[in-house]
Amino acid sequence: MQAGGAARESQVPALAPGLDPARLPLSPAEGYLLSRIDGRTPWKLLREIGGLAPREVDRCLARWVEEGVLVVNGAAKPAAASKPPAKAGAAATTAAAAATARTAAPPSSPPPAPAAAAAARPATVSAPIDESLLNASLDLAVEAQRRILAYERRLGEPYHALLGVPADADAKAVKRAYFELSKEFHPDRYFRRNTGPFGPRVEKIFKRILEAYELLSDPTTRAEIERAARERVEEETVAPPPPASAAVAAALATPDPKAAAEAKAAAAAASKRMRQLPHLRAAHLKQLAERKAKARRFFESGVTAFKAERWIEAAGSVRLAIAFDPTNEAIRDAFGDIQRKAHDERAKQLLKEANGALDLRDGRNALRLFEEALVFKPHDPEANATAARLAFLIGEDLKKAKEYGQRACELEPNVAANRKTLGQIYAAAGLAANAKRELEAALRLDPKDREAKEALRGLGRR
Amino acid sequence: MGRVIGIDLGTTNSCVSVIENGQPTVIPNAGGYKTTPSMFAISPDGKRLVGHLAKRQAVTNARHTVYASKRLIGRRFDAPEVTRVIELAPYEVVRGPNDDPRVQLGDKVFTCPEISAIILREMKRIAEEHLGEPVRDAVITVPAYFNDTQRQCTKDAGKIAGLEVLRIINEPTAAALAYGFGKKRDEKIAVYDLGGGTFDISVLELGSGVIEVLATNGNTFLGGEDFDRRLVTHLLERFEQQEGIDLRSDAMALQRLKDAAEKAKCDLSQRESAEINLPFIASDAKGPRHLNLELSRETLEGLVDDIVRQTLKIVESCLGDAGLAANQIDQVVLVGGQTRMPLVQNAVAELFGKRPHKGVNPDEVVAIGAAIQGEALLAEDKSLLLLDVTPLSLGIATFGGHFTRLIDRNTTVPVRKGHIFTTTRDNQSAVKIRVLQGESDQAAENDLLGEFVLSGIRPARKGEPEIEVSFDIDANGIVSVSARDLATGKEQSIQVNATSTLSDEEIQRIIDENELYEVQLKP
Repeated sequence: MQAGGAARESQVPALAPGLDPARLPLSPAEGYLLSRIDGRTPWKLLREIGGLAPREVDRCLARWVEEGVLVVNGAAKPAAASKPPAKAGAAATTAAAAATARTAAPPSSPPPAPAAAAAARPATVSAPIDESLLNASLDLAVEAQRRILAYERRLGEPYHALLGVPADADAKAVKRAYFELSKEFHPDRYFRRNTGPFGPRVEKIFKRILEAYELLSDPTTRAEIERAARERVEEETVAPPPPASAAVAAALATPDPKAAAEAKAAAAAASKRMRQLPHLRAAHLKQLAERKAKARRFFESGVTAFKAERWIEAAGSVRLAIAFDPTNEAIRDAFGDIQRKAHDERAKQLLKEANGALDLRDGRNALRLFEEALVFKPHDPEANATAARLAFLIGEDLKKAKEYGQRACELEPNVAANRKTLGQIYAAAGLAANAKRELEAALRLDPKDREAKEALRGLGRR
Repeated sequence: MGRVIGIDLGTTNSCVSVIENGQPTVIPNAGGYKTTPSMFAISPDGKRLVGHLAKRQAVTNARHTVYASKRLIGRRFDAPEVTRVIELAPYEVVRGPNDDPRVQLGDKVFTCPEISAIILREMKRIAEEHLGEPVRDAVITVPAYFNDTQRQCTKDAGKIAGLEVLRIINEPTAAALAYGFGKKRDEKIAVYDLGGGTFDISVLELGSGVIEVLATNGNTFLGGEDFDRRLVTHLLERFEQQEGIDLRSDAMALQRLKDAAEKAKCDLSQRESAEINLPFIASDAKGPRHLNLELSRETLEGLVDDIVRQTLKIVESCLGDAGLAANQIDQVVLVGGQTRMPLVQNAVAELFGKRPHKGVNPDEVVAIGAAIQGEALLAEDKSLLLLDVTPLSLGIATFGGHFTRLIDRNTTVPVRKGHIFTTTRDNQSAVKIRVLQGESDQAAENDLLGEFVLSGIRPARKGEPEIEVSFDIDANGIVSVSARDLATGKEQSIQVNATSTLSDEEIQRIIDENELYEVQLKP
């Protein structure tokens, strides 16, 4: 890391926003160095005024940058809470450290004394909390508040660490961890209590725990998460040791400070985005690609079906293709019109057949054909009206009759026959008020309609 | 802390429970019964009758006695389910101003939440008499498949009844809570709930004091009353064959037949045959006629076998949702009076390959579970936690009239889920987000909860902009939806409120009116 010396000299470290230095386990000498950092003093000057040997200053500053205590040139690096600091937690695995942070951190104990700092560091450094947020007047034990704040700071951690389970934990262990955490962080635990700003915090925590549990319980998403984690580890092992983080290495090693800052800002933004969009962008893209491939296959079989004049099949395939790839306008452009044409043609054919059946006085068959035609041309007023009349006369399915009748009236409200048919259907279904309304409308349109008059009189009798 | 009661507001019967000295207790009503008929009537002299009193006079006052109003609550007047009730119920159902079904008794029209409120107030009164102190807080149960409107209407009913409804929970979930109360083992359980009016199946997992709902399914229009109806139809047909008289238009005869059918159905759970004896059921020119029929268990089973098969299909699909095979279920809990029928028990046992659990009373277990959840919410020491789920899928309408789910049904709440969407036209500058709820893949077939527009999208080729749509359900079940353009950071959001069939003013008016009828508990 000596190689990065020149680049570092002009960098200006500052305290990470929202950080409370009082919570950091520091030796007095480290504390002095920290007190010199004001966001205006460059690294080079800190070497001279930091009260420590220049090498020690470099080491401390680099570690703090990595731990998220400091930001350099305004580009924040997220608190790398799951990574134990090189000095203290070398032996601890990621998961174990995370587990300690949750269970073993005694939140009510005073900040550890400098001498004990080395031992306590994994827990406290990974989740330093802002003491000023604690509020004894709330209906929530201060200890619970500390735990909530500490856990909230860890929400950016990988899912395994968040649940406190090892990477190879089986489904049962994941569920058990989720249940245990739910007992502490489910909002129902604080039902009707005055928890002030801690209510939303608990809810936020629970949602994140739920997300971790759901993604880790699904074998597909879990595999994706583990693959991403492996890639991260590989990336980090390639980078020069210590500092372990690639982003910090970049910031420290690049000769041009401006480029370094930009690279770092980009890395930070990317990682922030990865955290915000639930991690699974890659999985999302993969799924998208699969859907597009499926859409292509459906589209192709649609083309084949269309050429063979199997209209319904073609339409179905295209509809599926669009469902799987709604943004592909090529599919829609190519087929939107043809599909419509196919529908029209099919409807025309069916209506012809239906009218033929009607001429033969084969009501049932005619109704079936009209219904089929309506699938393709649902807004054909005449077909709706005839279907309503037929369904009513056959009298087996009044519900269906009612639907056709209603649609016919919607499409052509001023046709007396439509209103009359619907009125008769309502009357047959026992919906007297509706029947009366429709029959009266029919008579307004055609005062001489004897059938409507009779039906209306029939209603009065009932 | 005041006491919190659990109320099972059933289609045919209701039940109330409270935790006393750490033990759930079912509270009997003044007559000593642990369940109270969900019936309400206005007697000819204008008195309001609830529960057993209403049931007792139902035969002679059929037109002014309301039962099974739970089948109407939160539905639209034109819904097929409502049409079915109208066909069969002797009381009059009319169309309300919000297109909701209402019940007309004499010259007074009651909304469905109002009728539920009358039953709830009776349950509240039963609890208060038992406890000797006023009760305010309650947890009320509904079928798992109730939608948002039905739940909101039930909540409104609680409000009208003077209750603070802490939570609405699903009946099978409540049954699981009652079953899991005090148990330490890890188990997967199935709750098969065949009540008077609804069928629900839920698969839950129990572990170290936490209950997680894995999947739930059901049919809000399938239950013991369908069994009764089949039986009534059968009896009507046999009587018509024998005597040549159709009793369908005689409300009083129908009510007597219905009572007798229900009783015979219950008897046949114990015995192989039952006699139905209804003297003077009708009369014509030849004088009075009596209905006297012998009914065998086999006949009854033949009449309802397909209904039972139908429930098993729903069970199988629920197991599929939970990702479990029938033999992975450790325990089957039966809920609802209809599960006393041997045919039902055998069918369930056959499906799961094990006999159902016998330790709980199917009529009381739901109310007990509700009381346990109430206690769990308010108690200081939290020994039990219910991870409840959303009953219906939530999502948005996407191109081509499709429905894209963001939150699947049976998802644990509170929850936040997001997904990236994009534009469908070049240089599209705005997107309309239509928030829908339902299970159909067709947007038009689901319920529209709300819509908003996100504008100011930077001009780009179609498919390039990234718009993150997030759904958020908080601990109280309130849904908010936001859309954010990832390029500009521009964001729009709405909060979706469950809609009731009643407006706030209407609820207040009903509360004010009903205070006149309120019977105060003597301090």
